[in-house]
Amino acid sequence: MEQVERLLKRTLPFQVVSPETLDGIAEISRHEVFKAGEVIYGAGQPAEEVYVLVSGRVAHRIDPDIKARVHEKELQVGDVFGWAAILEGEKVRLADVACIEAAEVLKIDGARLLELLRKDVNFGEAALKSFSQLISQQYYLPPSVSERVPTTLSKVGDTRTPASNEAEPQTASAWTLTMYRAGEWLRSPDPYLMMVGFALMLGFWYLTVEVLKLPRFEDLPGLTTVVKEWFAEDPVYGMSIYTAEYYQHIWVSIRRVAIAFLLATALGVPLGLFLGWSRSFREYVFPVFELLRPIPILAWVPLAIIMFSGSETPVIFLTFLASFFATALNTMLGVESIDESYTRAACCLGANRWQVFKEVIVPGSMPYVFTGLQISVGVAWFSLVAGEMVSGQYGLGYVINTSYTMVRYPTIIIGMVTLGIVGYTTSAMVRVAGNYMMQWRLREMALGGR
Amino acid sequence: MSAVLEKVRTQGNEARYGAIRIDDVVKIYDPEGAAVMAVDHCTLDIKAGEICMIVGPSGCGKTSLLNAIAGFHDITSGAIYMDGEMLCGPGKPKADPGADRIVVFQNGALFPWKTNLENVAFGPMMQGKLSKKEIIEKARSMMADAGLSGTEHNYPGEVSSGLRRRVEIVRALMNDPKVLLFDEPYRALDSLTRSVMHESLLDIYYKNKVTIFFITHDLEEAIFLGHKLVIMTTRPCRPKKVLEVDIPHPRDYSVLTSPRFRELLEETASVVHEEARKSFASGEKEG
Repeated sequence: MEQVERLLKRTLPFQVVSPETLDGIAEISRHEVFKAGEVIYGAGQPAEEVYVLVSGRVAHRIDPDIKARVHEKELQVGDVFGWAAILEGEKVRLADVACIEAAEVLKIDGARLLELLRKDVNFGEAALKSFSQLISQQYYLPPSVSERVPTTLSKVGDTRTPASNEAEPQTASAWTLTMYRAGEWLRSPDPYLMMVGFALMLGFWYLTVEVLKLPRFEDLPGLTTVVKEWFAEDPVYGMSIYTAEYYQHIWVSIRRVAIAFLLATALGVPLGLFLGWSRSFREYVFPVFELLRPIPILAWVPLAIIMFSGSETPVIFLTFLASFFATALNTMLGVESIDESYTRAACCLGANRWQVFKEVIVPGSMPYVFTGLQISVGVAWFSLVAGEMVSGQYGLGYVINTSYTMVRYPTIIIGMVTLGIVGYTTSAMVRVAGNYMMQWRLREMALGGR
Repeated sequence: MSAVLEKVRTQGNEARYGAIRIDDVVKIYDPEGAAVMAVDHCTLDIKAGEICMIVGPSGCGKTSLLNAIAGFHDITSGAIYMDGEMLCGPGKPKADPGADRIVVFQNGALFPWKTNLENVAFGPMMQGKLSKKEIIEKARSMMADAGLSGTEHNYPGEVSSGLRRRVEIVRALMNDPKVLLFDEPYRALDSLTRSVMHESLLDIYYKNKVTIFFITHDLEEAIFLGHKLVIMTTRPCRPKKVLEVDIPHPRDYSVLTSPRFRELLEETASVVHEEARKSFASGEKEG
């Protein structure tokens, strides 16, 4: 059984399906041996089973009445044939298949296979999609045949009407691809190495502070103290996951970062695009931009407090500023990174200047823009804490600062760890959004094995 | 393909548009400063529907000529005409880029963020001459004709480089161009893929008679594909030898072993080799 699964895993349509589905397919597949010269099936016969070639040599000859670009081919071990059994409409064999040498095959009942794939919510559709790819690319058959492969969510046949086809199949495959990658990650050693890394860091903290009590470390709050405080229903220093105050600080910080980040994106991306696109605009703006950019955020604090009243707006302003520079600069670099052939090709094909901007400059710079946004979210948290330490009445930076003055050392660590977690989460969200919006890049990289 | 070949044999060359006349063109880069001469008084006549192969060492200035026709660069003096109309010349140093002259780039310029179908549909979409539905239909049928069915919704990065080149040519043909300008498009491909690409290019050419201006430094490729062979001197570039390839079209790969092909190759190889040696000696860089 395991051997069958391993073989199935090597075939194009089944390499993506979930382990449960693979088990199911292995269960319904039957092993059969054919002698040299024996016919496996002939064109026109009813098609009930899908076949996988396990060993031997088999000739596949498509019925000449069907418009295929190549009619005859020899099948390789691992090739899937007899897929007519899962086509919609009349299930009839489209080819004559005979053994050149003795051959072993797996026979899989078509109807039951479809049922299994339909149940596989995440990967079934991807498998069906590769069936239709297989039909058009390995058997060189026209779309009239490959489009008869059924799909679980939408019918591939619908792609004939161009208005509705664009978005739907893509989002579905994006989801399957993400799930597939997540599954692969869990099967790889990476998550376990990550755990080892964390364990080492925590162990180091525990040993130096609580067990060995090394000089310079002895005054720090220990691992157990912090964990106890963090999860205490009645915390000694007043803040744990059971107090409403904790969530208020988190919420205030997140809100500030969100506002600043959205503002920075809304202003920084267009600015960067125009900086990269228009030479004269760049001559005006870039020198000023380059002069302001290296000024550290902390140096802006007095101005921020003078310019904005209250405690909220100065912090948002400081956070915004750092994000804005990172976003605008990366976007500009993104525009510069676009190969000149793309803009030239667009000109050749009749695009005007505005269309070149919309169709080439904007999508072409997206990879850099999203790198910029990830950096931007990082520096937003960085400058947020700086701002909150100086002014502000809530927020994680404020917690860290006041806990220090009030000698609540474990609370400092709770604030820091929380910052780490929230910061990482927001950064990951930007990455996921970027991947989602740049399917072309994701697929290119997936093929590159990255 | 045989049906197509038959059609070509009986109907002959039917293109009426796309004749290019290059009249005493000079291109000097940075005339006030370094003054590098890339094209030196170049005169060349290309008939409508002809495949004109431009052969020369790397960096000899062939691409400058192509850029001038396409409208990417200006020329210093001289003029270029298409079907009797001036593209660029006195008073108008730079031609307007347009969908009647489409370039197929050296490294390919399919937009990686668009699917193959969206790429093919790009030109008509931008020009806005047809409705979206008509464009998609036309794109699908042209892709099917070129054997690209099933790759419509793939991104260019997902298909092989040979297929990508074919998609790019189909993208150009969608606009019914008069001239296709090829800038060493098969340079990055391995020789096996290249031989397949040659046949598929001829196949496409027989179906859509367009003028082809094809830059290469591969002599065999030039003789195999071209009606006319223009061997350029090394920088600055000027036609050194113009030769009509008298092997009848339609051609297929058996041409490569024919005695006439060998003769032509022998006749031209020494000329090209001499220029390549000069180019090497002067230390020209790619470009």
